[in-house]
Amino acid sequence: MRYGMVIDLTKCSRCHGCVAACRVEHFLPLHVTWVKLIAYETEDAGVVDVSTFPVRCNQCKEAPCVDVCPTGASHQRPDGIVEITASKCIGCRYCVIACPYQNRTFLSKELDPGYFPGHARTRFEEKGKKLYPHQRGTTMKCNFCLERIDYGMKNNLKPGVDRDATPACVNTCQARALTFGDLDDPESNVSKLLRERKPIQLQRELGTDPSVYYIDGKIGGKDNKAPASAQTGSHIQHLSSVEARAREVFPHLKENK
Amino acid sequence: MERRRQWITTHEWMVKPTAQTEWVDGQGLLIWLAEVFSALGMGLYLVALFYNNWWGQLAGWFIIVGLKLPFHFFYLGRPWRFWRAIPPFTSAWKTSWLARGMFFTLMYSAFALVQLITTYQLEHNLVAASSVGMVTAIDWVMRFLAGLFMLLTGIYCGFAMSYCKSIPFWNTGMLPIVFVIMGLADGLGLIMGVGLITGGVDFHAIESASRIFLLVNALLISTYLINASYQSKTGEYSVKELLVGKSAVVFWVGVIILGIVAPMAISVISLYAGELSPPLLVLAVLSHTIGAFSLKYCVLKVGIYRPVLSKLPTF
Ligand code: SF4
Ligand code: SF4
Repeated sequence: MRYGMVIDLTKCSRCHGCVAACRVEHFLPLHVTWVKLIAYETEDAGVVDVSTFPVRCNQCKEAPCVDVCPTGASHQRPDGIVEITASKCIGCRYCVIACPYQNRTFLSKELDPGYFPGHARTRFEEKGKKLYPHQRGTTMKCNFCLERIDYGMKNNLKPGVDRDATPACVNTCQARALTFGDLDDPESNVSKLLRERKPIQLQRELGTDPSVYYIDGKIGGKDNKAPASAQTGSHIQHLSSVEARAREVFPHLKENK
Repeated sequence: MERRRQWITTHEWMVKPTAQTEWVDGQGLLIWLAEVFSALGMGLYLVALFYNNWWGQLAGWFIIVGLKLPFHFFYLGRPWRFWRAIPPFTSAWKTSWLARGMFFTLMYSAFALVQLITTYQLEHNLVAASSVGMVTAIDWVMRFLAGLFMLLTGIYCGFAMSYCKSIPFWNTGMLPIVFVIMGLADGLGLIMGVGLITGGVDFHAIESASRIFLLVNALLISTYLINASYQSKTGEYSVKELLVGKSAVVFWVGVIILGIVAPMAISVISLYAGELSPPLLVLAVLSHTIGAFSLKYCVLKVGIYRPVLSKLPTF
């Protein structure tokens, strides 16, 4: 058994729903994100645009972060998920350096100032501290919502099929760009997609064998742009980090003072 | 426009060369210091062992136990769990250079301590005549073991970094060699400092060895940079950062001028002038030491990650 994810870049409409879902699911500290959208500039016949890639820990089969960890805090479960046992982590940050995908975060005090710095914690935060007690001084990363998977396995649910046993980002994705399942099961949704479409693994040449695949075979270019009809709020949002370009695409944008 | 969104941001850094910061900025400066003291301690201890200089051995041991280890300890996010990284509490030494390094350092610290005691006793005739043979034997065994584990301690730092495929500039088998050779050259510098205070050091012999090590070092560093710039785009970017970018001042002034050219010049002067004056010796020690600090700083600072999307088909 090896859990994996397939991300269809032609469907992703850059809504950041997966990012938000992950934050809520894991009560992530203010300045930490496990799932990220990375921006990638594309140029098509002189028109510059930005494509985005949803990225998260790839749960690599040959994970360098596991190899370098001096305590065994980073380890691979039999289902392929790379887990960090916080109580064993000494915070040496070797794994942060060794992950070729920059998917690990060291939780320092600065990254966890509370949702409203300088104010008391909200009730949501208090609850989060109990349900998901992130330890400062240790490292963290996406874990494919293993709490959901473990719950599902105990209750005869199928991860990737039953919502309660499926990662929060996959459940949330309104474009159905994310598919989750067992890569070792030839009949799973992910295996079928990998057979039918041209899959890519990030930095495959490093020999890490990521369990997260991207499909369409083309990254960037006109095939991977949000369709004009989707260039609404979410598109503005991701372009707004590149303000000048956002103004070119949406000249009617008002100054936000 | 002020960015008000706190967390729904699009990350651009993964498609651009991004420098690692965990091991060099902020609290990461402690790692830099620990790395420098690994090299200085190793160099000084091994050189002192070779030239049979007890004070040099003591200073080398202190640099490792009193400086390197504490800096490593205080860097950890959870320092009091440090024991988890030491065999037999972990089996990660099979793959982790950090776990191996912890083991090497602790072994060195223990063996060298025994060796320092036995050597001191033998040198000051504090051993009963009947036990001299046994203590001498112990001393030699401890010298061998401490020397071996010291070398391994000096080497592991390089291997820990060169293991990381994420950072092409480090990902070469030459890194541990550069660190060891530079450490030994610095050890030769430091032993002159020890000799200035305690005496009993043959400055001429040290200067001759120093010339060879500095020359080898200059060649190694040049080869390293050429190799790194041809190996990958990101490696080339790191080399540019080093030679003409933000780290250029530290590299040219610290590593090249103070770390190699100045000690080499002083060493050449000693070839013709015979005995070196104490101010020149102090200058040699200082420039060696600044060179050691600069080298590790530069190498850590230009540790740049391969961009995540750099090798995709559309590139
Ligand atoms: S993506 Fe990084 S953190 Fe995740 S398993 Fe691979 S190496 Fe480890
Ligand atoms: S920071 Fe924690 S998880 Fe990462 S390598 Fe060190 S001990 Fe292992």
